[in-house]
Amino acid sequence: MDDTLSDAPSLVTDPPVIGAPQAAPRPMLTMTGVVKSFGANQVLRGVSLSVAAGEVVVVIGPSGSGKTTLLRCVNLLEDYQQGTVTVDGAPIGYRIDPRSGQRQRMSERDIAASRETIGIVFQSYNLFPHMTVLQNIVAAPVRVKGVPRAKAEARARELLALVGLSDKAGEYPVRLSGGQQQRVAIARALAMDPKLMMFDEVTSALDPELVGEVLAAMQQLARDGMTMIVVTHEMSFARDVADRIVFMEGGVIVEEGKPEQMFAAPRTERVRQFLKRYNDRYRI
Amino acid sequence: MKMLAPLLHSYWYLFRGAGMTLLMAGAAVLPATALGVVLALVHVFGRPMARAVLQVYLFVVRGIPLLVLLTFVYYLLPLTGIDLPPFWGVVLVMSLYYAAFMSEVFRAGIESLPQAQWDAARSLGMTRHLMLRIVIFPQALRLAAPPFVSQCVSLVKATSLVSIVGLWELTMASREVVERTLAPFQIFIGAALIYFCICYTLALYGRYLERRSLVGH
Repeated sequence: MDDTLSDAPSLVTDPPVIGAPQAAPRPMLTMTGVVKSFGANQVLRGVSLSVAAGEVVVVIGPSGSGKTTLLRCVNLLEDYQQGTVTVDGAPIGYRIDPRSGQRQRMSERDIAASRETIGIVFQSYNLFPHMTVLQNIVAAPVRVKGVPRAKAEARARELLALVGLSDKAGEYPVRLSGGQQQRVAIARALAMDPKLMMFDEVTSALDPELVGEVLAAMQQLARDGMTMIVVTHEMSFARDVADRIVFMEGGVIVEEGKPEQMFAAPRTERVRQFLKRYNDRYRI
Repeated sequence: MKMLAPLLHSYWYLFRGAGMTLLMAGAAVLPATALGVVLALVHVFGRPMARAVLQVYLFVVRGIPLLVLLTFVYYLLPLTGIDLPPFWGVVLVMSLYYAAFMSEVFRAGIESLPQAQWDAARSLGMTRHLMLRIVIFPQALRLAAPPFVSQCVSLVKATSLVSIVGLWELTMASREVVERTLAPFQIFIGAALIYFCICYTLALYGRYLERRSLVGH
C-alpha cells in the first residue's frame, strides 16, 4: 500500500464539504430499463439502476453477467437498444423526442461531449503507448475541453503526485508496472474532472502485490466524495468502501443492498452461494 | 578500367535519368499516399456502398499489371480528349495504382490497433476526428511505416516500366547509352547500382522508422 495515497489531499476538484447540511442526495446516474443485445444474445435485460451523487456502488457477479457491458452502456462505448441513461440529469446517447415520444440518437458530437463527464478506468489500462505519462493525462483536457496547456500540466502533475507517481511524468507507459499504469489511467480519467467515475475490474490484470496501490487510490477517491461505480472481484474492497453492492447475473440485477447486509445475510440463495465461494477461497 | 570507360563517359547522363526517376517517383508518391489514407479511412469508416466500390477498385487495380495500365492509359487518354502531358499521365496512373496498395498498408495499420485504444480515446470525450488525429494515426502510421517504405521502393522500381510508353528516365537513358556505346553489361550494371542505391537508402530509412515505431511499445 502506498503511503503517499492514504495521506493525500483530495483527488477530486470540488470535494463535498464534510459536515455541511445534507439535502436529499441527487441522482448522479439513472439507468432505466436498459436492454443491450449482441446479435441474439441479450446481455442486459432491462437493467435499472440509480446512483446518488457521492455514492460508491460496487457491482459484483459471475463472469458474463453483464457487469462490464453495464458500464460500457453508461458512456455509450456500447450502444443499447432500449431504455434511458442519464448522468446528472443529462441524457446519454439517446433523448426522447417530446413530440413523438420516440428515442432519438444524439449526434456524435453531443455523445462525445457527454462522455467528458464520465470517467472510466479499464481492466487493461488502455494508456496511449506513444505518449508519455504526462501527455496521456493532458491530451484530453487540452484538446477536448480547451484547458490551457500550462494549467492542464499543473493539474496533471498534481494528480500524479496524488497517485504517487510524480517522478514518472516523462516515462512512456511501457516502462511502468501494471499498478503504475493503472494509477496513471485513474489520473488521466480524473484530469477531465468527471462527475462519475467507473472502474471496470481494474485490478484483475495486476500482480497481487500491485493491487493494493490501485485500491488505495480508489479508496482515496471514494473518501473525497467521488460518485463511483466499481466492477470488481475484490470483495474486501467492496465490503470496506462500497455504500451499496449490486449483484448481477444473466443481465439483470439479482440483489442489491448495503455491504454489511449483503455479506452477512444475503436475501437470495444465488448471492449466498456466490459469496460463500469467495469466502471459502479468500476467507474475507 | 578500359572496360568501364563507357560507363565513366556517360555516368552524368545516367544520373540525369536517375533524377527524372526520382522526380517521377516523388510526384507519384505524394498523391498515392494521400489517396491511400483516404481510401483506408473509407474502408474503416465508410458506408457499405462506398466500401463495396472501394473493394471493386482494389480488386481491379491489384489484378492488372502496371505495365498494362500504363499502356492502356497511354492510348486511351488521347481518345478521351484529355490532353495530359505524358509525364503527368504516368504520374496519374502510378498514383492511382499505388494508392490501392498503400490504402491496404494504412488500413492494416489502423485496424491492427487494439479496440482498447479506441475505447480509451472515446471515453475521454474525443470526437472521431480528434481521436484519429492524436491517438489512432500516430500509432497506425508508425506501424504502417515499414510496409509503406516497401511500397515506395516498389514504386521507384516500377518507374523503369514507363520507358515503354516513351518517357525518359533512368532505364530509358541507359538504353540510349547502350545504343551509343554498345556496352550493355557495363551500362546496365551502372543503372542497377543507381537503382540499388536509391532503394537501399529508402530501405534503411524504413528500418529507422521501424526502430522509431518501437518507442513506447
